[in-house]
Amino acid sequence: MSLPGIRFSDVRCVRATSTHIDIDNGVVESAGTSFSDTALVRVLGPRGWGMISVNNLDLSSKKELDRILAEGLALARITEDPVSLAEPPRGEHKVPAPGEDPRSLSLEEKTRVLSGIEKAAKIPGITSTRATYIERTEEVFYTDSSGYENQFTITRSGFSVLAVAKRNGDAQMGRESRHTIHGFNLRHQEPMGVKAGETALALLDAGAAKGGKMRAVLDPELAGVFAHEAVGHASEGDLVKEGSSVLAGRIGEQIGPGILTIVDDPSLPEFGFEPVDAEGCRTVRTEVVSRGRVNAYLHTRETLAALGNGVAGHGRAEGGEPPLVRMSNTFIEAGDSTLEEIFSECRDGILLVGSRGGQVDPGRGVFQFNAEYGYLIEKGERTRMVRDVSLSGEILSTLHGILLCGNKREMHQGFCGKGGQSVPVSDGAPHILLSDAVVGGSGAD
Amino acid sequence: MRWWVAVELIEKILAAGGRSAQEVEVYLVEGTGVSAELKREAVAMATGSREWGLSIRTIDKGQIGTSATSSPAKWEECLNAALSSMSLATPQEWHGLPEPADLRRPAPSYDERVVVEPSAAQEFLSLMLEGARKHPESRITSGSGSLTRSEVTIANSHGVHYTAPRTEVSCSLEAICGQSTGSEFAHSPFLEIDPLWVGERAAFFAGHSAKGLPMETGQFDILLSPVALAQLFGNILVPALSGRTVHAGRSRLAPLLGQKCMDGRIDLCDDPFARGMGATAWDAEGVPAARFDFVKGGVLSSFAYDLKTAYRYRAKPTGSAVRGGFSGGPAIGVHNLVLDGPREKIGYDRALSIHDVVGAHTANPVSGDFSVECQNPIWVEGGGFQEPVRKAMLSGNLFDALRGIGGIGAGSRIVGNSILPCVRFKKMQVIG
Repeated sequence: MSLPGIRFSDVRCVRATSTHIDIDNGVVESAGTSFSDTALVRVLGPRGWGMISVNNLDLSSKKELDRILAEGLALARITEDPVSLAEPPRGEHKVPAPGEDPRSLSLEEKTRVLSGIEKAAKIPGITSTRATYIERTEEVFYTDSSGYENQFTITRSGFSVLAVAKRNGDAQMGRESRHTIHGFNLRHQEPMGVKAGETALALLDAGAAKGGKMRAVLDPELAGVFAHEAVGHASEGDLVKEGSSVLAGRIGEQIGPGILTIVDDPSLPEFGFEPVDAEGCRTVRTEVVSRGRVNAYLHTRETLAALGNGVAGHGRAEGGEPPLVRMSNTFIEAGDSTLEEIFSECRDGILLVGSRGGQVDPGRGVFQFNAEYGYLIEKGERTRMVRDVSLSGEILSTLHGILLCGNKREMHQGFCGKGGQSVPVSDGAPHILLSDAVVGGSGAD
Repeated sequence: MRWWVAVELIEKILAAGGRSAQEVEVYLVEGTGVSAELKREAVAMATGSREWGLSIRTIDKGQIGTSATSSPAKWEECLNAALSSMSLATPQEWHGLPEPADLRRPAPSYDERVVVEPSAAQEFLSLMLEGARKHPESRITSGSGSLTRSEVTIANSHGVHYTAPRTEVSCSLEAICGQSTGSEFAHSPFLEIDPLWVGERAAFFAGHSAKGLPMETGQFDILLSPVALAQLFGNILVPALSGRTVHAGRSRLAPLLGQKCMDGRIDLCDDPFARGMGATAWDAEGVPAARFDFVKGGVLSSFAYDLKTAYRYRAKPTGSAVRGGFSGGPAIGVHNLVLDGPREKIGYDRALSIHDVVGAHTANPVSGDFSVECQNPIWVEGGGFQEPVRKAMLSGNLFDALRGIGGIGAGSRIVGNSILPCVRFKKMQVIG
């Protein structure tokens, strides 16, 4: 695993089997399995990284490996940025055993159960339904020039169901999804289909939200996306290092109220779980914001060596792609307010429910995300439903605007994109109350 | 893989698959690439890649199965998975994979000048840095340059066997000035990108927007750049033009075929022979690709169809099957979505120009409603940029906005699988 001029090298191979099922308006559009075998060889030359991404790497062939290392070294020689690596904390967590192993079920059985969820969404008034299932088993093998090795197998799976309702040219949708590392999770989920259908129908009668600055209550799903988008990305060590984060240079600074603690924990057995990170580092909980103060950044070995303030173990990668600093399971710790107290304190504002995703410009410190729908809060009571409502803002001023944190945290699953790579994540939070939230909506007075 | 080895593999798969299915299709991609990345102003990483991917479809009595693999040695496992997948699919009306066609006109998807060498990627980075130096108040945070060459082959049991070379070059740069960011990029199948311009624009946007002022909430005329427009089109309009979405009852455009659905100045087509990222002479199922109109003079004239959707709904296939890599089966998409119409000077009367948007993927693709954060919002007047705005959120409905635009600007640029101009929209809601 070494040649003259190479300071460090590693290889990460990912053999994956992916299954998908797509049922659209009762028709099985596709259901099948695909295979991939990808590897990334990293070479740290005199200054920076040279990397080679290949399919079907034969690790038993010294000749092939030496040829790839030489190619990697040649690439590394064009780099100028001097890279150092922090010592890797070693250790692996056990992958939780699945309840019902999806790999033990036939594609026919999975299709049958998914079909039940799709059918359940077709309540009266629903004009279109679609359900999809994804399952991916990854066999990961990692080794580096120090002689360290690890390997593990993990299966992630889940479903989503979509319902569309139409009336007088207006079309609205409801969507539910659940993903997990704990085994086949489709059984008895027909109520999720019904819920998607009911949401779509209810949205036909919902008005457009009137945008502006107001008090906003974020439900646990949207508050989790808020933690991920507004704080999590800005705490990623690579962005901090290159000067693209508003949290750069703010370790120890109070950026939110004392009730606010934001955590990323890849060792938590949620959808973003990693038994070991993509550089062979032990994964641990990192408190990014602790009682309102910036406490640590998320790191790979490289960003930790450059910046300090945190631990390595947050490197994640798709097969054949370089490890990037990534979030895993990101959440706001529960506070002590009841939902009634939060609504009462809000008095007049908006409740934002669910998430259609979000995005952040961590350098500018600006974020945006869309709720699935919302409700007006009038005199402390939840009243009319509103649709197509979003939240945007500046990270630092918004964090200072957190007034209350609820006493019950929930986690939701999704996928996060960065640098052309998508990784499974979970986000979570209790209900939170924001003052002066910038709420988007096309409604007028 | 040598070409004759690939031919032999394809023949083996077609023969073996033909024993269990009426039709077999093989899609093969092989390519190499190189990229170099900047962190601040230094080259921090260089990556080489070699990709090989195989996708197989089998079809029997209207049932379609798919599978894919990145391992040549696993082709039999892949074929068996496609056959298993086929047995589960709901049977549908099917009239066959395409027969061989005379495809003499090559698509502009290949430039022999593209050489996959680290020095070429390095050159992109140097030029971008040089361009950025015109705005020394801005600092570079990251950037990248890349070049790829690949060969795509599609073959089927009716004798179709097309191979096309492809090249792609791209570069991008991100800059910051205080807490103001700017980014720009360029990509093309041809060695025709301008890294100097990319660097200059990224640094300009970061520096200019640093002086941004607050704005009031209200309704204003908006100039959406080709980048911002492509984001909204990709997330809302392109799905609504898919025949599958239309017939599944999830497109707001479904009842409007033959009717006016956009401003009369708008022509919108898919042109696979335009010099864009999706240039191709045949689609992802081997159907000859040809230019066709989605919207002509504001009137909706066609939706996009692959074979499966066209056969099912007795529509005319439009050669609109695309693949997002070898691992996914063909799906309806666009090759090069081109918006055209009478060009006007659209930046003389005061309007808010938006370079890019954050969060377009959170739009509602069914209703067309969106609410996005603006990147580098700048007031324009008298044909040039005026004062920048610190923060603005744009809300609206894309389908409604396209019904009465304020004009189409001069020039167009490649943004992903689109070739778009800047478009002026009337009175949209902006939250300051």
